[in-house]
Amino acid sequence: MPTWILAVFAALALIAPAHADGIAEKVTLCASCHGENGVPVDAKIPVIWGQNAGYLYIELRDFKRGARASEVMAPVVADMSRDEMMALAEYFSKKPWPNLAQKPADAATAEHAQAVANSAQCSQCHLAGFLGASLVPRVSDQGYDYLLTTLEAFRSGARANNAWMTDLMKAYSEADIKALAAYLAGL
Amino acid sequence: MSIGNPRISGGVALAALLAFGTILGTSARADEVNRATLYGDMTTVSQDMLNRAGQDANNFLMTHGDYTQKRYFPNRQINTMNVRHLHPAWIFQTEVKETQETAPIVVDGVMYVTTAFDHVYALDARTGAELWHYKQPLGAITTYCCGPNNRGVAVYGNMVYLATLDSKLVALDAKTGKVAWQSDIADPELGYSETMAPTAVDGKILIGTTGGEYGIRGFVKAFDAKTGKLIWTFSTIADNSTGVWATKDATGQDLHRDIAAEKAALAKLGDPAKKLGGGVWQNPSVDLANRRIYFVVGNPSPDLDGAPRPGDNLYTDSLVSVDLDTGKYVCHFQYVPHDLWDLDAVSATVLVDAKDEHGASVPAVLHAGKTGFVYVNDRKDCHLIRFSEAMVPQENMFALPTPGVGTRMLPGANGGVEWSPMAVDPTLNLTYAINLHQPMHYSVKSAAYPDGKLWLGGAFTVIPEEEQWGNVTAVDYNTGKIRWQVKTAQPMIGGILATAGGLVFTGEGNGFFKAYDSSTGAELWRFQAGAGVNAPPSGYTVEGREYIVVGAGGNAQVDSKRGNNIIAFTLD
Ligand code: HEC
Ligand code: HEC
Repeated sequence: MPTWILAVFAALALIAPAHADGIAEKVTLCASCHGENGVPVDAKIPVIWGQNAGYLYIELRDFKRGARASEVMAPVVADMSRDEMMALAEYFSKKPWPNLAQKPADAATAEHAQAVANSAQCSQCHLAGFLGASLVPRVSDQGYDYLLTTLEAFRSGARANNAWMTDLMKAYSEADIKALAAYLAGL
Repeated sequence: MSIGNPRISGGVALAALLAFGTILGTSARADEVNRATLYGDMTTVSQDMLNRAGQDANNFLMTHGDYTQKRYFPNRQINTMNVRHLHPAWIFQTEVKETQETAPIVVDGVMYVTTAFDHVYALDARTGAELWHYKQPLGAITTYCCGPNNRGVAVYGNMVYLATLDSKLVALDAKTGKVAWQSDIADPELGYSETMAPTAVDGKILIGTTGGEYGIRGFVKAFDAKTGKLIWTFSTIADNSTGVWATKDATGQDLHRDIAAEKAALAKLGDPAKKLGGGVWQNPSVDLANRRIYFVVGNPSPDLDGAPRPGDNLYTDSLVSVDLDTGKYVCHFQYVPHDLWDLDAVSATVLVDAKDEHGASVPAVLHAGKTGFVYVNDRKDCHLIRFSEAMVPQENMFALPTPGVGTRMLPGANGGVEWSPMAVDPTLNLTYAINLHQPMHYSVKSAAYPDGKLWLGGAFTVIPEEEQWGNVTAVDYNTGKIRWQVKTAQPMIGGILATAGGLVFTGEGNGFFKAYDSSTGAELWRFQAGAGVNAPPSGYTVEGREYIVVGAGGNAQVDSKRGNNIIAFTLD
């Protein structure tokens, strides 16, 4: 387990007894991983600043229900009510998307990714610029390592909270998925 | 939250509401002078105006023209002789450059259009000048399968009615765009959403729901136009949804059902009614004489996997009639029992008088299916009188979806005819439908109900190496024969308008908006709009000048080029 996780579990233990009225302490907890300025502390942690509120809520709900398995996020949401999850989702959705300083994909990779995106009709749901809306996440400029991990997790079934994304990723090769992740990260 | 919201509770709010109500009451009465006739400045939409909307050559008062939904505009100023001179009168650019399906409504020179994500604009129909702009503050959760679409508003009294992606019904003051009241229709977290325009009739606002891709239980609801209170709900899924275990579709083709296996599944699982889908995508037609409404019900959930839903899945893929005043069931007719292809019923119904089996003229109801057939049913008991020749190639029809790559079948899951409304020229006994030809693979893969998330039970995928196209088809509803057909470069979604000028108008994903001779299909005019024209056109007249108006904003479902134009055309 990487050290940042240990550090945060320590923080979690401290915060747990305080319990939240309001979401202020929760927000501090989130910041310890998802970043004080929105830039996550580790490349495998997703950006949540500026993400669509509906999507943030549904993910918190799914972590709580166990529909999306995550050893890290499960304890974070274990005692949260729907209202708290919704409040956190609204809060983070209103923050600006951070600058991760990711480079655009090279021309060949971008072309490869666009061919896949066209055939899979990604934009039918993720909309123009891959900005999504409501329950469909923004995926443009999301961190590369996280994108690759989560797309592969859809494909392997490790992330099981969306049958559609799983079926879709199964239809593509590892190389296709790498190209997609690089392309989306660089948008 | 707004004044008049039925969810407001508590002493202070209520007192304030009452006080405000009294003030409003007086001023409204002063304003309520019945000012003129249909041809004057009648800005308040009366029931009488709505009843006669089909003969009103000035206004376009309903999504599909009038309660029969013929989309037949009775002005002949723009006609086969002069349509080649048609040109833009104005172009209005909305704030939203996304999928555009609005049917413009026009009341006494004021036009109401909507955009993706539930904006409403009131425009001066002569100049395109903006009068007001309303943006629905959408809740965090909106669930929709096929783009953040909205197909337009309903008008009634002094109000404009909008149904939203987060499943709310909103009444706006027609003069100002201010919210008068807002009601919850259903819970968006369970997959319910609104993309259709409401229908206003006799103090009621009628609305269906989408969500057939999310395991909802569909409905049509009637709300009180003044207060937003729910009057009745008709569940589009019968409590006993199993039906008669039909082995053939309405046209006699084998559905390849394993009835014994389905019966065994029923014994084990029970009736699947609760999550069986059955969305309603389009406005009901209203038969005022019999006080009945006619609408069609969409696909069962999950789309491609029949295993969790044994039985005919009533009333999915069906024509249904209910009583306008009570919402009570009158009759139904199922086109595709136990659908496994999403070849459902989504295009608006149309009321016409048509020849029955014995050649007698009877009140009938038309519907164009994703199957590629136009169905002609008897309004009395819903039975099928006839079905048309197939408007698109049907190959391997009703072959079972298979695991893996899937089975190739035509038509594809968008149709045939999608939600796109038809138009009817009653003087020619012709109904006009726009079609898609998209060869698809249908594959099945069982998945547990995912709590309000997309639930297809497999996939329908366009076969990339095969050609796609569309067509405009005119069908004689007295014989079922195709009178004329014009092929288009792209699969068609949007809608069509017929006019007394002997024309039909319809648009394409590649940006062309065209006029055809309604009796021959000859193309008489075309215009390049710069973005997909995938919305139903409307017609109206101001100060004696006829206009044709259409939205050009592209479409999420067929991924045509996006734009943000509302374009009104006229002659000099
Ligand atoms: C211990 C570190 C940690 C803490 C604390 C933490 N997160 Fe996370 N979060 C993660 C990781 C790691 C993931 C990726 C999980 C996965 O994909 O398996 C994640 C994923 C998420 C996601 C899904 C985002 C997406 O794009 O799918 C959301 C939403 C989220 N976290 C919100 C929060 C909120 C809100 C808080 C505070 C209440 C919080 N997290 C606290 C580490 C953390
Ligand atoms: C039918 C709609 C649809 C299509 C098509 C689609 N997606 Fe998604 N996608 C979603 C939804 C909904 C989610 C949220 C999943 C969930 O419920 O957690 C998602 C999630 C994702 C995520 C995870 C984001 C995160 O923060 O964890 C990525 C990355 C993604 N999609 C990329 C793509 C790409 C690339 C394509 C095309 C190859 C695509 N999607 C096609 C609907 C779609």
